[in-house]
Amino acid sequence: MSSIKQQSQVTQLSANKSGAIFGGLTILLILLFILDLFLGSVTIRPGEIIRAIFNNSDETTRTILTQFRLPKAITALLVGIALSISGLQMQTLFRNPMAGPYVLGLSSGASLGVAFVILGFSSDLSPESIRGFGNWAIAAASWAGAGLVMLFIMIISSRIKNIMTVLILGIMLSSAISAIVSIMQYFSNETMLKAYIIWTMGSLGNLTASQLNVMIVSVAAGVILSLISVKMLNALLLGENYARSIGLDVKRSRFLIIAGTSILTGTITAFCGPIGFIGIAVPHLARIILRTSDHKILIPGTILAGALVMLLSDIISQMPGSDNTLPVNSVTALIGIPVVIWVILHDQRHRDIF
Amino acid sequence: MKSSTGNILSFSNLGIGFESGKFRRLLLPPLTGSADKGELIAVIGKNGIGKSTLLRTFAGLQAPLTGELTIDGKNIAEFSRMGLSARIGYISTEIIRVSNMKVYDLVSLGRFPHTNWLGRIDRSDNEVIIDSIAKTGMTEFRERPVTELSDGERQRAMIAMVLAQDAGIMLMDEPTAFLDLSSKFEIIQLLHELTRTREKTIIFSTHDLATAVSQADKIWLLKEDGLAEGAPEDLMLNGSFKTLFYETKVKFDSRDGSFSFRNVEKGRIFVRGEGELKQWTEKALSRAGYAVVETDSAGEVEVPSQLNSRWKCKVPGYSLEFESIYDLVSWIRRNDSIS
Repeated sequence: MSSIKQQSQVTQLSANKSGAIFGGLTILLILLFILDLFLGSVTIRPGEIIRAIFNNSDETTRTILTQFRLPKAITALLVGIALSISGLQMQTLFRNPMAGPYVLGLSSGASLGVAFVILGFSSDLSPESIRGFGNWAIAAASWAGAGLVMLFIMIISSRIKNIMTVLILGIMLSSAISAIVSIMQYFSNETMLKAYIIWTMGSLGNLTASQLNVMIVSVAAGVILSLISVKMLNALLLGENYARSIGLDVKRSRFLIIAGTSILTGTITAFCGPIGFIGIAVPHLARIILRTSDHKILIPGTILAGALVMLLSDIISQMPGSDNTLPVNSVTALIGIPVVIWVILHDQRHRDIF
Repeated sequence: MKSSTGNILSFSNLGIGFESGKFRRLLLPPLTGSADKGELIAVIGKNGIGKSTLLRTFAGLQAPLTGELTIDGKNIAEFSRMGLSARIGYISTEIIRVSNMKVYDLVSLGRFPHTNWLGRIDRSDNEVIIDSIAKTGMTEFRERPVTELSDGERQRAMIAMVLAQDAGIMLMDEPTAFLDLSSKFEIIQLLHELTRTREKTIIFSTHDLATAVSQADKIWLLKEDGLAEGAPEDLMLNGSFKTLFYETKVKFDSRDGSFSFRNVEKGRIFVRGEGELKQWTEKALSRAGYAVVETDSAGEVEVPSQLNSRWKCKVPGYSLEFESIYDLVSWIRRNDSIS
């Protein structure tokens, strides 16, 4: 009996500790979100934001805030959340610490889906008529592309246990997909090509309101799927055999996890283009901070950390105090790659990083 | 004589093996056997004969190819995955390497069939987990990451996980494979105790025949011609063990169930003396390839006694004295003159 009491004290203690970490991360997130609203090529003073909220500031400031800054900050938040959860789910499902939506080619798969929609349809297409396809069509094509790659990686990882081999095959796969997209570009006409190129340059900043709506709904669906998968992900940590023997329906859970990951990565890639190294790096950051393998804690932790890192990347890409901006892709790569390198070096010693 | 109604697990004409599409490979002739509540059963057989496949079939990880397999009197195919997991726990030889996973976390995963959709551990789950950890002697390692455990400790943690699963049957594939002698003994002792105090039916595969023979209630001996079932003593008496090693160089002593290597006999020797000294000297000589005989023979070794602190060796043409068994045996090896 005394040992049970002792144990509940221990869990209480660690619950308090992770509670404090979550509280800290949330406060940091709110601060960064507000900071992201201030900073940009036009710096807005805090007072003006408050006035904008109460609707009595000048028109320009309000337009900048509601039409540009706020959608961009929300987009950054969604991108960070979606890609990070995708990475965490992939790392657990494939039992591969090097897994992520970008490195294993999910982003490429999603862009192939988009290329099919934009380049594969009738030749009399104007950039305006792409809107006609609807954002949902583009999103769905992305999901399908990401999902196909996900299935392919699933088949590879069930046969090949070597983490690095799977990684190399993933890179091969993305190169092959890029080649297919290039061929499609070569054979498409000028208008379609232009529409596609504009899409590939997609960033956090130029989403329409309806695109943002599609994104919010899809990411919410993906997050809900990931929360449903918490128990399954925990079981999958033990590998397929143990997962089954403790009672997991492996097929069903794989389907759910693959569906969730494809929706999350596909949606982001459809509207913001491929963004690298957030998905692979953030789950490791969450593990380092929270020191747990339990997805009940890791998923909320990854959501917070992902949103934080992406907001930070966006702020850095604005280059506060200068008129220039950096591509957000480069910023995420420069933040993510050191984490990945750390994981690889760490792996040399332990061979069991997650 | 045998009724299958009271058995917690029973199988008849069970075909085990692999099947994918049209390809089908049956590993063994149809097997028949049964396990009762609270029995410790050892599965024995050569490498690759199908011990792991048999355990995987019991665990529901592989479907039976032919025949019938019942758990608690119900065909295994009628169970849902969750329902089966509430009755059967399984530990493979696969080592779990998940960093940041503590022993408590691992054991709590054993509650999988009993928790809600989120896997929430409530008060009663917590009690089962704590109890399982205590039962396996892992209480002080509760907050230790599983990656930092020794082989023996990890095996204990795995057993705790399956205990927390609260299944009547526990299957273990080579639980003592990586363990040193004392951990090996402790694990088997723990399994034995669990069958007695918790009424668990434990089925484990092993290569360690001496342990199996001394601890198991029942042995399932897998051979090319099928499965031999019985108490270790039954199999000993009906000669099943001898056929297991018929072609190999292992010698089975049916008096105490021990095994030794059969060496080519180089000659016969008689050891004069008594007690431990005689016993160990005989052991060294038989390792060197000599048959120890009970009567006077041409070769004779006298072990140290109160009168003499040296080993005396008398063979035709020689009479020598040695400081240690090592010196004695090395000399005999160099001069294969005893016959």
